[in-house]
Amino acid sequence: MITYILRRLLLMIPVALLVTVVVFALARLSPADPAVVIAGEQADPAVLAAIREELGLDKPLPVQYVAWLSHVVQGDLGRSFQTRQRVLEAITERLPATVELGAAAILISVTFALSIGILSAIKRNSVVDLLASSVTLMGVSFPSFFLGIVLILLFAYVIPGRIFPPGGYVPLVEDPFENLRRLVLPAATLATASLAVNLRQVRSSLLDVFGHEYMRTARAKGLRERTVIARHALKNALIPIVTLVGIQVGAIIEGAFITETIFSWPGIGRLAVQAIPSQDYPVVQGVVLVSAISFMLSTLFVDLLYAWLDPRISFESAAV
Amino acid sequence: MTRLLAILTTLALVLAACGSTPGTGTTTGGATSAPSAAAKPTYGGTLTFGLENDVSNLDPMLSGLFVDRNIHYAMYDSLVRVSPKGEIIPWLAESWKYSDDAKSVTFSLRKDVKYHDGSAFDADSVKWNIERYIQTKGSSRTADLASVDTVTVVDPSTVRFNLKAPFAPLLGALVDRAGMMVSRKVVEAMGADFTLKPFKAGTGPFVLTEAVKNDHYTLEKNPDWWGKDKDGNKLPYLDKVIVKPILDADVRLTNLRTGNVQLLNGINGKDVPAVKSDPTLTYLEVGSFSWNSMVPNEAPTYIFNEKRYVKAVSMALDRDEILAKGPAQGVGLVGWGPISPAHFAYDASFKPWPKADPEGAKKLVADVGKGPLKFEFLVSSGDAGILQLAQLIQAQLAKADITADIKLQLFNDIVTLQQSHKHAGMTLVGWSGRLDPDGNTYDFVVTGSPNNDSSYSNAQVDTLMKAQRAESDPAKRKDSLLKAQQIYVVDDPSRVWYGFGVSPIVSIKKLIGMESYPDRIPRFQTAQLQK
Amino acid sequence: MSGTTVPLAIGRQRTSRVSTVRAFARRNPRMVIGGTLVVAWLLIAVLAPFIAPFDPIKVVPSDSLIPPGAKHWLGTDDLGRDVLSRVMWGSRVSLSVGVISVSIGLFVGVTIGLLSGYLGGTFDLIAMRGIDALLAFPALILAIAITSALGPQIQNAMIAIGIVAIPAYARLTRGQVLTVRARDFIVAARTIGASPLRIVIRHIFPNVVNALIVQATLSTAFAILAEAALSFLGLGPQPPYPSWGQDIAYSQRYLPNLKWWMSVGPGIAIFTAVFAFNFLGDALRDALDPRLRRSGT
Repeated sequence: MITYILRRLLLMIPVALLVTVVVFALARLSPADPAVVIAGEQADPAVLAAIREELGLDKPLPVQYVAWLSHVVQGDLGRSFQTRQRVLEAITERLPATVELGAAAILISVTFALSIGILSAIKRNSVVDLLASSVTLMGVSFPSFFLGIVLILLFAYVIPGRIFPPGGYVPLVEDPFENLRRLVLPAATLATASLAVNLRQVRSSLLDVFGHEYMRTARAKGLRERTVIARHALKNALIPIVTLVGIQVGAIIEGAFITETIFSWPGIGRLAVQAIPSQDYPVVQGVVLVSAISFMLSTLFVDLLYAWLDPRISFESAAV
Repeated sequence: MTRLLAILTTLALVLAACGSTPGTGTTTGGATSAPSAAAKPTYGGTLTFGLENDVSNLDPMLSGLFVDRNIHYAMYDSLVRVSPKGEIIPWLAESWKYSDDAKSVTFSLRKDVKYHDGSAFDADSVKWNIERYIQTKGSSRTADLASVDTVTVVDPSTVRFNLKAPFAPLLGALVDRAGMMVSRKVVEAMGADFTLKPFKAGTGPFVLTEAVKNDHYTLEKNPDWWGKDKDGNKLPYLDKVIVKPILDADVRLTNLRTGNVQLLNGINGKDVPAVKSDPTLTYLEVGSFSWNSMVPNEAPTYIFNEKRYVKAVSMALDRDEILAKGPAQGVGLVGWGPISPAHFAYDASFKPWPKADPEGAKKLVADVGKGPLKFEFLVSSGDAGILQLAQLIQAQLAKADITADIKLQLFNDIVTLQQSHKHAGMTLVGWSGRLDPDGNTYDFVVTGSPNNDSSYSNAQVDTLMKAQRAESDPAKRKDSLLKAQQIYVVDDPSRVWYGFGVSPIVSIKKLIGMESYPDRIPRFQTAQLQK
Repeated sequence: MSGTTVPLAIGRQRTSRVSTVRAFARRNPRMVIGGTLVVAWLLIAVLAPFIAPFDPIKVVPSDSLIPPGAKHWLGTDDLGRDVLSRVMWGSRVSLSVGVISVSIGLFVGVTIGLLSGYLGGTFDLIAMRGIDALLAFPALILAIAITSALGPQIQNAMIAIGIVAIPAYARLTRGQVLTVRARDFIVAARTIGASPLRIVIRHIFPNVVNALIVQATLSTAFAILAEAALSFLGLGPQPPYPSWGQDIAYSQRYLPNLKWWMSVGPGIAIFTAVFAFNFLGDALRDALDPRLRRSGT
């Protein structure tokens, strides 16, 4: 078990390094000159040169990379070109909003997926099942930003009363009621995309489990259907579901970029999207790096959890 | 000459009062949502104001953007101010008197004023401020104060401006940034950072306590402010004003509707009918001094150095269509020059090209003989309304075989590029407008002036514009202004003007006491947030 | 011998064509529906210049903001452009990005997978770590990052989405290569002296092709969705060219004014196109490789 954990962690390091290389390369790829972005188009050439030197842009690329990486490891993600604020600060300021949105979306999504998934797995090939799989397929195909817009249209402009405002943000600590009111639409939008993936996963994993040997044995023993499900199927189906939550983190991060933009939710996704047109690369870089690392960590956590839940896995070599 | 001044100000009063109700559907000038006289005012509360762009310079000396002024007016006081009807009213100066030859004006200052940092406001401070505006290298206020020769401290509360020559627009200039008083202590302490974080540097109703670029600016009540309402209650009523830059007009309105902000001074024309009929919102509007224009770069080696090209573009535009179908959706007025209906010098019959004339434009371009006209059209990114306008204009120009290639860029970057005379073709930039028509015209068309971003130079225009500055007879001033307008719009175009705006105040119903001024700047000190 | 049901793709019994097709359709309704929808969208994309009722770019201010009606089935936008025509022309962007980016991913991914599986050793190690690095990013985030780095243009969106698609194909192919490599008959073939290329073509490819087809179809669905998201964020083709995502972003400001058709038109288009490919992909997967049912999208 320990060996498995250690092996996984060890494998993660080169990947993490490569991730940093990718993030670094992306920023350097851009044709924009950071000195010009900071100082403006007609700054004195001497000023531009000074800025370039300050940013270390005159050194060869590998040197720049190492310098940048050493900063990152110490928690220095640079400063925004636009606001000169430290990127890490800008991200930590906005992280709670994104986490809140993501958590709400995961909660909604998993709850719905579990209930509908279990129902449809029990009543296989019934109307419920068919409906569930259709909804799954449609949900995966629906662009989240379009759904967000439709929800805004309905709840803010068509249905009177504006119960759920079309965006804005009030910190949870300041006014929980207002915060939750504004959370509903964005969380629902974000949940929908991953709901479909979840439903599919729950359904297929439950179906698989149903077919397994020990299920038949349990049934042969004469245990009631419901007991069979509760005691055996669910526990074993939990494994892929746990994987699910891990995968969702990725979908949530993706969706956050768009959903936060539509609903003016002040999270890290919106921070990055706003930074793009002004070519504010440290900010975009920082958010992308944080997203990738979070995603990696969540996948790792899920893998470890998975190994712990299902002893068979930990001794197989990971098919990487 | 004091008689002349009296006549001038009365005339300005009368004409401004007449001029501030152009068009249809506007509430009369000085529109306000004032409470009934005897009601006790509500103190307290935080007002969040959605501003259309991030500010560039909080130092009045360096500032060049309209959005900067929205915060300036809250934290700084100027020597004089303007009333909603356009009259010049006492502010830091309680009264003023011109000398007989109009070459000097003496101000009597308020005696109970302190800067937010505690330092005293007196005649020495005024002298220091004005000299700073005139003498500092890189100051944007030199043109406003070009007529000022020296400033004399007569006594701690009396200061005299000695002018090089009589200058009619002086008071108008002192209403705004050129007349704003800042604390010497703070300026000297902050150095280059002053323009980003001028905390406690003014004497105004609010104190700047936080400035986070692109995010928000916090203004807190100045408990020692000298202003009082007409019942003698201390102003301001509000505890705090938070200013949030929100670039997209639709997002701004959404923020207002969701309660994230409580006040806006700019919305899209398409939303005006809905806002007017929304029972939770208040909509006030007056005609403003502002104008919209396309700014060519007429410097040598640039394509619009050939002025006939500028004229062709001006001829090809369909101004009525722009007003009706563009983002304004009918709100505002068509115009061909920079002197708005709200100004005393407005000429309603000035319509050089009443209808779009694409054929005339084609002919003009053909006359130049260098082939079809194609230029880069710099348009501010982040606003779908502006993009729509740009495409509309592009289509209109295409009818005259003129190709405008739209290029999107951040507004502040465009302005910077423009001001350094390096933009390749034309930009889409307007002007928020000034009380005195001089403020709407001089700096844009006179050779070498700070806002003359098109690098325009015409000797006749220079002469006429300089003449109207020294002229105290309003009729003669108007004549010179209009003669100049004819030249820099039609005969030898400096840029392409296409319309005038309105000055809206859009707020939640609970916010009362906000008045709509033609300069579109909100005055927070009279606002109350009812419970 | 007519009317006999024939198992899909196996066996070469001669039955009448029509009955084969009919039988096929009866057994695989989902594939037929999905296939029809996909073909429909492909046709619209290809034929848009001919079947679109109006010019999608021409600005006609006098016709602005007309609700859906007889003349303009999906209404017009604020510049008087016909929404239906813009949706049709927009399909060219979405589908071309979809097809080209998936092709990039397929080509590069399969090559990497083949080389990796066949060569093994250091190459495999490095390549797979590289693939892992790509997979460490949530797909859309990576696409956004690449496109914004290269500049907001349609070509860069294709490259970005293509890069994001690579890992799936690389892994699939590599997995297949590894499985087949160990088999006896391969060892035998190599002993005889059969060239690697021949082995690849005759033995590896046929086994992996099915999975690749399924993956390609599903990838296209994702690619269309990703392109729409990128355009929505302003990273796709620049105005005035019609693009579904961008049109939605551009016209959502009119929703408060209850002018819904400009955003809903492209939105429905995205949905149906993505749905078509997803539906077809699912059906193909069930038909071609039931083993794949376990894995998610």
